[in-house]
Amino acid sequence: MNTKITEPIKNIFSAQKAPIAMLLIFITMLFFKTPFYTRYNLIDLINSNSTLLIVAMGFTVVLVAGGVDLSVGGVMTVSGIIAIKLINSGVSIPVAVLVSILFGAAIGAINGYLTVYQNTEPFIITLGMGVLLTGVAQELTTARPISGENPAFQNLANYKLFGVVPALVLVMIVTVIVVVWLLRSTSFGRNCYAIGGDYEVAKYSGINVLPTKTLTFVISGVTAAIAGVMLSSWVNSGNSTYGDQTALYIASAVVVGGTSFAGGIGGAFKSLLGVMFIGILSNAFNMLNIDSYIQQLLVGLFIVGIIWLDCYARKVKRETV
Amino acid sequence: MNKKITTQSIIAFARNNLIILGIFILAIITSFVEPNFLTVGNLQNIMRQFGPLIMLSLGMTFIIMGGFIDLSVGGIISLVAVVTVSLIDPIGQVAALMVGVVIGLICGLLNSFLIIKGGAFKQSEALFLTYGMSVVFTAVALIYTAAAPVFLTYSKTDYSIFTAIGERFVGPVSVSFIIFLVCLLILYIIESRTHIGRSICLTGGNMTAARLAGIPTEKTIVFIYAVSGIMAAIGAVVLASRVTIASPIMGKGYETQAILAVVVGGTALLGGKGSVLRTVIGTLLIIMMSNCLNLLGVTTYIQYMLRGAILILAIWLDNRKQYSEGN
Repeated sequence: MNTKITEPIKNIFSAQKAPIAMLLIFITMLFFKTPFYTRYNLIDLINSNSTLLIVAMGFTVVLVAGGVDLSVGGVMTVSGIIAIKLINSGVSIPVAVLVSILFGAAIGAINGYLTVYQNTEPFIITLGMGVLLTGVAQELTTARPISGENPAFQNLANYKLFGVVPALVLVMIVTVIVVVWLLRSTSFGRNCYAIGGDYEVAKYSGINVLPTKTLTFVISGVTAAIAGVMLSSWVNSGNSTYGDQTALYIASAVVVGGTSFAGGIGGAFKSLLGVMFIGILSNAFNMLNIDSYIQQLLVGLFIVGIIWLDCYARKVKRETV
Repeated sequence: MNKKITTQSIIAFARNNLIILGIFILAIITSFVEPNFLTVGNLQNIMRQFGPLIMLSLGMTFIIMGGFIDLSVGGIISLVAVVTVSLIDPIGQVAALMVGVVIGLICGLLNSFLIIKGGAFKQSEALFLTYGMSVVFTAVALIYTAAAPVFLTYSKTDYSIFTAIGERFVGPVSVSFIIFLVCLLILYIIESRTHIGRSICLTGGNMTAARLAGIPTEKTIVFIYAVSGIMAAIGAVVLASRVTIASPIMGKGYETQAILAVVVGGTALLGGKGSVLRTVIGTLLIIMMSNCLNLLGVTTYIQYMLRGAILILAIWLDNRKQYSEGN
């Protein structure tokens, strides 16, 4: 009798961690007198998390197909810097943006070739790629922030539709819709889940595993590049340190949302909830005036806790099977 | 016929040791272009830079041989360095050093505890957990010093041991080099002469098989992370005494360098085989490479780039080698 009541509650808590935790923060913030519940803060909350959300979408696709891409921070940084540098040297904005995105796709293709066709461990290859790209970013900027000289470039992210909704948010929404559609309603998405669930089975079922899995890395590179361009446009500068913690941050946010490192489980909308949750958490910390290093400690502990729980859930599953 | 086999074997050798050969060629070019390369001063300089990195790399070798990875060493260095240097005044230098090593040990034990209790036995899972722990350790170091660096030279009491580690030479060799030799000897004996060394290799080779064969795999994991933590602490002390400053972010980037040194030395990232002696060669090559590039006037940014590229190349080549051996 007792188990019958607790079972559904338990299920809700294990499957819907992020929304429930978000709800808790919203309720908690009601008790504090902060500017949390202002229109400005709530729009800023979505706006400032948009670039991370865009990166998280591609990251989710890779994760679902059983890979992992730790170079997203590097791709984001370098493509943003490329866009700024090209525009400053007189190249028209659409061309510069296109070159940046192609750069992201190319890096994704290299990652995909090395990990899928050459069968190497994706996390260490993409970690190395991240280090390499950080070096590229530092060389391009001589490790100093560079600012954009063309004011039109700022409009790319900062233009406000109806005077309220920033263009950055629109780009984010479009990316989310495209990725949700890709994963849910296309054969490519189905194949991704199959490959992430069991690579060998997918291979023998006749799925073209090699190109499909490589394509996930390309998508991740493209979304990271879009995020980089939008970030550069939003703050009108490029800096080699922007992407330092991105990969870890996104990884934990995506796992909080319910996409697993094991592959084959998860979804783009879940990742959206995960990223928004961590975003709201750190926004609430800021509103409560918590010291930034203590925030870093809390976020670090939180990340370790979430990833640990994900591992632990898999351990329990392994032992019960 | 005989001659053909030798050319083939030379090509095979070159292909298997591409990176090592590459760095040797770089060193030869540098010694021609830049006569300062082969001076006593520069060689002592190389020896001094060798200090902190080799300690980490030795610890990282055991971790990678055991099939795991430890990205938290950067955070451990920062934390140990600031705590140790700040404790010289209140509790004296010997006690401060001991506290530093104990902190390294605790950090390592914490990592292994998380990994074992969470069942994070895949390399990628361990990577994320230790990456997160690195953020935690760095944050603790930042909170501890309120983000300000701690200066060894401002110490009011005696810090002769630190000066000795950082600057003194016994005959032609530096004190930090002697510390390295002692650590290397101990780790080499553990690796080659004890059952712990066998356990590490077997755990790295196939953990499930090792466990079923009665190898205490969990104890092995605790051991390798504890060693990695202690070696990171020793590395932190050597680094802080050399630069006479301890900053709460000084360990940043060391973890990838340590992995690079281990992989370039020829220890397989997949685990199961390798040796601390190989890592010594790997570390020496990495230090020599950056020394050569510095002398040739290459910027640190491009060096950073090269590090990433070599890491990718080393893993790729190693993977190909194992693939062709498997066939």
